[in-house]
Amino acid sequence: MIMLSRRLLGPVTLLLLALTFWLGLWITPPDAVQGNLVRLLYVHPPIAWVALYVSFGTATIASCLYLWKRTRSDVMDRIAHCAMEVSVVFIALTLITGSIWGRPTWGVWWAWDARLTSTAILGVFALAYLALRRANDDPTLRARRSAVFAILTAINVPIIHFSVQWWKTLHQGASVLTSNGTLNVHGSMLWTMLIGFVGFTLLFFWLLRYRYRLEVKRDLKVADAVVEALALRRREGV
Amino acid sequence: MADVEVESALTPVDPPASKSRSTWRSIGVIVVLIGVVVVLLSQGLLSSLNYFETVDQALGQRTSLGTKVIRLEGVVEPGTISRTNSGASFTLTGSGTHHVFVTAQGSPPQLFQANIPVVVVGHFVSTTSLSFAGTQIMVKHSSSYIAAHPNRVKAPNGTSR
Repeated sequence: MIMLSRRLLGPVTLLLLALTFWLGLWITPPDAVQGNLVRLLYVHPPIAWVALYVSFGTATIASCLYLWKRTRSDVMDRIAHCAMEVSVVFIALTLITGSIWGRPTWGVWWAWDARLTSTAILGVFALAYLALRRANDDPTLRARRSAVFAILTAINVPIIHFSVQWWKTLHQGASVLTSNGTLNVHGSMLWTMLIGFVGFTLLFFWLLRYRYRLEVKRDLKVADAVVEALALRRREGV
Repeated sequence: MADVEVESALTPVDPPASKSRSTWRSIGVIVVLIGVVVVLLSQGLLSSLNYFETVDQALGQRTSLGTKVIRLEGVVEPGTISRTNSGASFTLTGSGTHHVFVTAQGSPPQLFQANIPVVVVGHFVSTTSLSFAGTQIMVKHSSSYIAAHPNRVKAPNGTSR
């Protein structure tokens, strides 16, 4: 079952993304106010969802599991690291697609409002996490410091989510995860957007899987290099 | 001589300073991070945690605002838009009772129209005037998405009219 789901992950992801693009570009109607500019609705919110909640959330949960003694393992550290790397990509895509959408709708590429600024800060946090990992040579120390850092910076995620409610922002409020539970997207636009959410979420897990495999191979290569170096020293009689 | 050699081989050796080097590098990363975050916050949140003043708020603080550059938010009143050579003029309304006349430079954004919330960057013309000179118009569209012409009639063959 697990093998089957692993094999199907890639094709299903591709299918859902293709469906999202087909529906979003050709089938769904234009918006009453934004016209065809609304078609970025099927890309930007799903990417932002993955950036904030799925990828950063995965990195944070894996970090918590690493710090908890019962579940501490190299696997959790690798998952946190790989998820954070993918998170950097999705945060960058969130800002880029948002900018592309903002220019014709708001009239500006960028605005220093609470939502956009806090999202940019999240991107800086993700990059700092990766820099922190490179700054530490000892694997245990690296894993522990990174895990603590990921958990501390995760506080920014609810700040980003509630920023449009707490402060006055140029960025509009939530369309799906609203405070009173209403949905502000209607008809075929809604379920196309939801297909996009699922498609991009699966894309994250697909990327995470391959990034994790690369990390395992890298760790094995390092371990092999250490074993070879020790064997060489023994042959030299030191 | 052999005893001395064995003794020096058994003498404890200080471990390499990798842990302290890692600590300094980590501190370096944190310092750079704090610097970048402070810069971002100074651009964004600290100077404009609330990105704009509504028409009602701006008129309530009229005396203290003076001719300071602010971002004014309101809804474009229908029938008041007039395109000029250098931009557009229109009236912004707040809760319905307060109005501000805006003269803005530059082309308004694509979505600019009546009954849409906008944020105008500019300043009141004088310390007592209710006219606002704008240098930039931004549209603050809502989070609702509705199909254009949802009651469009469909022909029997499925095409829309």
